[in-house]
Amino acid sequence: MLIQAEHLQKTYHMGAVKVEALKDASFQIAAGEFVAIIGPSGSGKSTLMHILGCLDRPTAGRYLLDGHDMSRASDNQLAEIRNKKIGFVFQQFNLLPKATILQNVCLPLIYAGLRGRRKQQQLARQALEMVGLGERLHHRPNEISGGQKQRVAIARALINNPALLLADEPTGNLDTKTGQEIMKTFHRLNQEGHTIILVTHDPEIAAQARRIIQIRDGLIQRDEVIA
Amino acid sequence: MILEILRMALDSLTTSKMRSFLSMLGIIIGVAAVIAIVSVGSGAQSQVTSQISALGSNIINIGPGITRGRSGRLSFTATDVFTMELAEQILRNCPSLARITPNVQTSGILIAGDINYQTTTVGVTPAYQEIVEYYPVRGQFINAEHEANATNVMVLGAKLAEELFPGQDPLGQRVKLFARNRKLLFVVIGVMEEKGTGAIGNLDNQAFIPASVLLKKINNRKYVSGYTAQARSSETAKTAVAEVEYFLTRYLLDTDKFNISSQEQILATISEVTATLSLMLGGIAGISLLVGGIGIMNIMLVSVTERTREIGIRKALGAKRKHIMAQFMIESLAMSGFGGLIGIIFGWLGALAVAKVGGWPLVVTHTSVLVAFSFSLLVGLFFGLYPAQKAAKLDPVIALSYE
Repeated sequence: MLIQAEHLQKTYHMGAVKVEALKDASFQIAAGEFVAIIGPSGSGKSTLMHILGCLDRPTAGRYLLDGHDMSRASDNQLAEIRNKKIGFVFQQFNLLPKATILQNVCLPLIYAGLRGRRKQQQLARQALEMVGLGERLHHRPNEISGGQKQRVAIARALINNPALLLADEPTGNLDTKTGQEIMKTFHRLNQEGHTIILVTHDPEIAAQARRIIQIRDGLIQRDEVIA
Repeated sequence: MILEILRMALDSLTTSKMRSFLSMLGIIIGVAAVIAIVSVGSGAQSQVTSQISALGSNIINIGPGITRGRSGRLSFTATDVFTMELAEQILRNCPSLARITPNVQTSGILIAGDINYQTTTVGVTPAYQEIVEYYPVRGQFINAEHEANATNVMVLGAKLAEELFPGQDPLGQRVKLFARNRKLLFVVIGVMEEKGTGAIGNLDNQAFIPASVLLKKINNRKYVSGYTAQARSSETAKTAVAEVEYFLTRYLLDTDKFNISSQEQILATISEVTATLSLMLGGIAGISLLVGGIGIMNIMLVSVTERTREIGIRKALGAKRKHIMAQFMIESLAMSGFGGLIGIIFGWLGALAVAKVGGWPLVVTHTSVLVAFSFSLLVGLFFGLYPAQKAAKLDPVIALSYE
């Protein structure tokens, strides 16, 4: 199993108020799956995504990624796992505005400690071609369209060959047509063997995955394989 | 990796040039001030030192004692102790002394033909030239015979000779000296070399006559204001001072009546004073470096806040604490270091300008440049630490959701 979530629980303290964002979530995801995590805002799906993406640790429960327990890992270990095993795609694209497309895609390689600018750029070009971007590589993010930005983000997510592609509302800031194209890219990547977890509140987008995990009030409400 | 992070840091600095420059300004001014002040201090010191050294070497001044009068006023005691005979006695009794010459002078008007010139006339003995290291270029200096016989001969300073005898040969010419209501006629026997303005005034404008002539025929008294003596070598200078002190104490039976100061002591005092001044002013300039550091910290803190989201993105992509730390440290170090470099240039230019105006040599020591630059780096390191740590410690989830 690529992912084993066992009774994940996350509690925040906001002043005196205790917020149970995640009460009890258990599931397993195998390599090669295409899973949508769906739920309304405030359901705990963002919290779940942060834990799955090793951006955060659960308050209780165990999270195993590729057999390694991430629940008790140090900040630096989490950073390394994020770098090597997880590729993020965000709703806000989250590209560095002052860096060029190529520089943005190279960033995870730099933190992976890969030396040689030419080698980095070669890998970045390959990743960008995989998502259908071959030009405007020296432009800055504000000079390209939303769909192109998201492709850049996907290329950046893919560049270290992660075990898991984690997309948080990847079509949320795109029009329907561009959104569909991005979804097609995800489908293709899934067919090529990438494991994809898609976090969304949109049932239509979720319906394009092969499995839906529905979450509500910090609990898993439904977990079923479709199509 | 370091190279990549360095490039990222420099990229972010160059994208907001104006802000980077403004935050560097404190460091620039601080470093420039430190370098300029230290340089001006050492330049002024070297000028004063060279002026004092120009008076001759291993010089010991023997003068009237300084007493504290009423209401704390300083005054010189009566000088009716220093005679020509005493000078000879001092020389005889102090084996470390090579030579001695009296200090006696008068101001008066020199007249040659129809040219009048108001100047100082100095009474000298032959030893004067060796002590002051000042020699005639033409003719001869006052010799022992002139002094013994009180002959009316005169040696002119280089500029004085030109003033009194423009376009003529002054040797053998006659000059009248009016001083203290007396009128004397002299024969010019020599012209001195050019010496320029020194610590005891411009020698080039002065006239030199035998001390005996000045005392007997003009001042009409046997006392001089003091002596200038010269030790045999720099090694014996201290001994010479002790010998003179010992002799005069025994001879005059009153230590208040005389005061001995060696050139070495004067030089030491001057270096001490200028060093203290430079240190103090440099310290004040150093404070502006510190203020500059706070400016850098301030802008780095603003930058960390502004770039919270960027930090979140970098962390999501796998940046560890040390990467974020390094990025912000390099930024603040680059700012302070670059500011330091600009400061060195400005400080050097400032020192050059002041040296030109002050007419002394430009002295920019490696030490002051090195100290100022490393201090600016240190300031960058110190004041960059807190913002960088703040950035490195950011929680990636919170940083990513920062708007």
